[in-house]
Amino acid sequence: MILNTMLFDKKYEFKTLNEVMAKANEEKSGDMLAGLAAESAEERVAAKAVLSKITLEELRNNPAVPYEEDEVTRIIQDSVNEKIYQELKDWTVEEFREWILDENTTGEQIKRASRGITSEMVAAVTKLMSNLDLVYGAKKIRISAHCNTTIGKEGTLSFRLQPNHPTDDPDGIVASIMEGLSYGAGDAVIGLNPVDDSTESVVRVLKKFDEVKKKYEIPTQICVLAHVTTQMEAIRQGAPTDLVFQSIAGSEKGNTAFGISGDLIEEARQLALRQGTASGPNVMYFETGQGAELSSNAHLGVDQLTMEARCYGFARKYEPYLVNTVVGFIGPEYLYDSKQVIRAGLEDHFMGKLSGIPMGCDACYTNHMKADQNDVESLAILLAEAGCNFFIGVPHGDDVMLNYQSLGYHEAPALRQLLGLKPIEEFDEWLQKMDFVDANGKLKAKAGDASTLLV
Amino acid sequence: MVNETELKSLIENILQDMVGKQEQQPEQVQEEVVAQATAEATTTASTTCTVASDACLPDITKVDVKTELLVDEPYDQEGYLQMKQKTPARIGVGRAGARFKTATSVRFRADHAAAQDAVFSYVDEDFVKKNGFTAVETMCANKDEYITRPDFGRQFSEEMKQEIKAACGTPQVQIVIGDGLSSAAVEANIEDILPAIKQGLQMHNINVDNVLFVKHCRVPAMDVIGEVTNSDVVCLLIGERPGLVTAESMSAYIAYKPTVDMPEARRTVISNIHSGGTTPVEAGAHIADLIKKMLDKKASGLDLK
Amino acid sequence: MRETILSVGIDIGTSTTQLIFSNITIENMASNFTVPRIVIVDKEVIYRSNIAFTPIIENNKIDQSLIQRFVEEEYRKAGIRKEDTQTGAVIITGETARKENAEEVLNALSGFAGEFVVATAGPDLESIIAAKGAGISEYSADNSATVVNLDIGGGTSNLAVLHRGEVIDTGCLDIGGRLIKVHRTNKTIEYISPKIQQMIEQKGWNIQVGQQATEALLQPVVDEMVQLLKQSVGVQEKSAFYETIITHKGLKDHKQITHISFTGGVADAFYHGAAGDVFIYGDIGIMLGQALAKSKLAELFTIVKPKETIRATVVGAGSHTTEISGSTIFYTDTIFPIKNIPVLKLTSAEEQIDESMIATAIKEKVTWFESEGDRQNIAVSLQGKKNAKFQEVQTIAAGIAKGMEESIQAGYPLIVIVENDMAKALGQALQSLVGKHHNIVCIDSIQVENGDYIDIGHPVAEGSVLPVVIKTLVFH
Repeated sequence: MILNTMLFDKKYEFKTLNEVMAKANEEKSGDMLAGLAAESAEERVAAKAVLSKITLEELRNNPAVPYEEDEVTRIIQDSVNEKIYQELKDWTVEEFREWILDENTTGEQIKRASRGITSEMVAAVTKLMSNLDLVYGAKKIRISAHCNTTIGKEGTLSFRLQPNHPTDDPDGIVASIMEGLSYGAGDAVIGLNPVDDSTESVVRVLKKFDEVKKKYEIPTQICVLAHVTTQMEAIRQGAPTDLVFQSIAGSEKGNTAFGISGDLIEEARQLALRQGTASGPNVMYFETGQGAELSSNAHLGVDQLTMEARCYGFARKYEPYLVNTVVGFIGPEYLYDSKQVIRAGLEDHFMGKLSGIPMGCDACYTNHMKADQNDVESLAILLAEAGCNFFIGVPHGDDVMLNYQSLGYHEAPALRQLLGLKPIEEFDEWLQKMDFVDANGKLKAKAGDASTLLV
Repeated sequence: MVNETELKSLIENILQDMVGKQEQQPEQVQEEVVAQATAEATTTASTTCTVASDACLPDITKVDVKTELLVDEPYDQEGYLQMKQKTPARIGVGRAGARFKTATSVRFRADHAAAQDAVFSYVDEDFVKKNGFTAVETMCANKDEYITRPDFGRQFSEEMKQEIKAACGTPQVQIVIGDGLSSAAVEANIEDILPAIKQGLQMHNINVDNVLFVKHCRVPAMDVIGEVTNSDVVCLLIGERPGLVTAESMSAYIAYKPTVDMPEARRTVISNIHSGGTTPVEAGAHIADLIKKMLDKKASGLDLK
Repeated sequence: MRETILSVGIDIGTSTTQLIFSNITIENMASNFTVPRIVIVDKEVIYRSNIAFTPIIENNKIDQSLIQRFVEEEYRKAGIRKEDTQTGAVIITGETARKENAEEVLNALSGFAGEFVVATAGPDLESIIAAKGAGISEYSADNSATVVNLDIGGGTSNLAVLHRGEVIDTGCLDIGGRLIKVHRTNKTIEYISPKIQQMIEQKGWNIQVGQQATEALLQPVVDEMVQLLKQSVGVQEKSAFYETIITHKGLKDHKQITHISFTGGVADAFYHGAAGDVFIYGDIGIMLGQALAKSKLAELFTIVKPKETIRATVVGAGSHTTEISGSTIFYTDTIFPIKNIPVLKLTSAEEQIDESMIATAIKEKVTWFESEGDRQNIAVSLQGKKNAKFQEVQTIAAGIAKGMEESIQAGYPLIVIVENDMAKALGQALQSLVGKHHNIVCIDSIQVENGDYIDIGHPVAEGSVLPVVIKTLVFH
């Protein structure tokens, strides 16, 4: 394993593969905060040059966190298909990148390869990709999954309807749901981030969601994004749940900070399969985001991109229906401005797909970050073109509970029309039945009038 | 300028637009209509004659989003307005094709501008002086460092610690004000919340005289102050990360004998303090009771329950 | 945090007396990181009594001892001790409210049924609690509908109009199933109420006490009652007799009513019909219910099936009279329960942020509540100000303290009810003015009007909130 290189006549010597990986990253304020970032633009390129010549086998044998010390590493390593790995292990990262981009390499071939690789390989190749590479590569890969409906099919773009409310008021939540439905959002899931994480509250909201879903006969999924243990208790109390949600991290220590472990997630999945309301088999929903590990001091000297890739390696084991990065939520200490957020959004989406999971994105920003609505609209167009499974939609882009901005409900029809995409088939039929859109996806007079659902 | 008939039809049009603003008194609507009509008339006029006018467009941020319904010919207007009363979310905003209407996108940008300004501006030094606070600051050199280096925002230099010690001594209860992520929150709420806390504590014969103001303040800065002053209770009033509904939301973090690196669970938090949430006077009265309870039980956060 | 409050409801109506127990569940809906917000999340009836006939003795009086025995017996059967009930209401309704000893019986019974079981009466309140007890309020909210509920009992028909969950009008007519009584075995007419007698005379029908009752004989009376009810909900021109039949007021004209529901004893015959002897209950209730079912009312409106029919009022009394105060409030200990306190409400014109204006307005109104120079305990109510400034709170407090100074000097607790969320700050300001040792109760998020009475129970939810019953005490 060669960790040294010359660049502009200067010699760069890196001590560990982790150092190469960290310094090869595009600039991120989180890596700087952690003291892991390249110290100059030239050093960054030197690291990229070194990384390009590293083999996949070297990456396999040098996981970011040792196998013995970390459950996430063990889950990733143990899930590798050894036969496929043997075929690929001699490739350098450079060769792996160019194979992905080759016009003769199909999405199906990449999906097969993804079963033979580790998250460190996924991260490494991403570090060598430009933004357009990330869109170009991701577009080849379609990952679909089935809960009550099938997400991720070619030609579709879905939205999670996020009807958050500052006090979880059921009527207020339903008002935002009706608004979103009238724009065609909600085919991925109707999913609330609750203020009140108590079981009573989660049960109450789930019952309300179920009531709405049944009243209007909406072919979709419902979920309340409380802590996994709260949702499990709600299921045990008989609350109707299609998807079980949890935020996850790329290290065992990070997961411990979230109050979870692999066993707990598996237990939740089994419970959802046995007592949940969905058809399945995909019943899990995960959220991630670069910098989460550092924020709980659980990054273990590893850069945030690699940690993020490891989240997807962990997620893959539990066959999720939805995974999305909440890319701009974490704040400027991890992703400084819109440039870093857009980059991270493209990276995360590509890495999710390359890890074989049905990937979506919360294209968003907080008010202490140097970004605005134009930036997330730009990111959304790029990701929609890259074949992103779903986005998050909130009323007019303003989440009144989490106090951040994401895409608006309007973005659902706008992006679909722009790129010739459709919602999930059954949901599309429902939208037509409700007279919100016509067969071509054009909005009809009732679209955007939530009061038509007041009957 | 426009003539009488044009003005009349303009007023009629605006009146039609205003259906739905039911809460307003008729006279008020009339007044607004006339004001708007005049404003519109002048705008029209200014395209034909280049003379600048004294007329002024109404302030779009004064429109109550909760009562403004912009969907064209809604199926159930009353029901829609009732839905809007249940949530601060921007619903019933209508559409221009599959995009936002101009009015709502401009309003959205206005609210975002207010939020960003709240983060990146400073609390006025005169405000700190006028209220007699002792001004100190953390290790951050500027706002940029403040938002990217949370570790600096929780530390003080040795000299600063000495200043804090000298200004505060060892009070039973130390009140600290921090700019946090919203300077606007400090300026909007402090003059109501602080006297309410003081009045509540005075009933228990607890006086809080020396109030600290911390520039570039993160929450754990209060732990350092706790250690330096050796106070029984430290109460930090700090600007929250702003949202678009309000840029003026404040939180109170209160802890019994806080120490550096203590578990977060030892803090009691009261968030969402602003004119549209828990009002600053009610929050202040509530915080006074909480502080008294902490002193009695010698605990805070989860330990207090 | 979840807590259950046990509530009792007792309804002493024209023909029947009933009792229910219900669990009212309250919960803190706020997250751990904000001030508490405790609200009622569930109401569940856990015990329903037998339906007993209201015992009337000679001189047109209610038999208090028989009712007490009934109540005692039902407590025993339910396995509930009086001291277990934390709240509740006794309501005396219909013609019974007009009995000579109604007020006396009501007060005796409220004390008898539990420490914080309040006495209520008044036709408007009856209309409201019957509609709420029957679930009509939720129905109209859930279906964005305007519903008129007709609670038709033995003596009166209590009308309420609910628009999207809110009561927007009430009315009451002297129409009921027991205004003509028939002997159960020999079927002779035993009693005709004065207003029905008047109707019969005006129409020139030959119907008298002592006559043999038949359906054919009484049908014209029942049909006329239906006509009057149709008039009351605005689907038929009002006749001259309509003014005579209304108890105190009818409904205003509500064009937007789309749905109708029936509760009270007569409702069962409306929804289920009845086979066999129509005089089985010794009155014309079944005939009235059947006539309503055949009438245009059932065609002109969408019919709503209520959750309760004959028990609507008692369920309303037990489950829908108790409210919860706001969760940031102020009170000094040991003065609960506070019962039957009349409300002095300032008008919005009087309610300026001006100390002397508030003080003067209160002082003037306090005299209304003095009878023969006797002062009584009163509650001052005001709307308050949304997001009041600290100084404004001080000014309001000073105005109240000054306006109530004589009452304070007389040693009465200072009770203040404010609509907007400011009670804790206002209470602290009041205490700093009147001193630590004077009893103060200052609550918010409660809306009251002049003429209302208020009862305040022991603190619940770890002392965060106070249960409150707002009521009228109108005897007609």
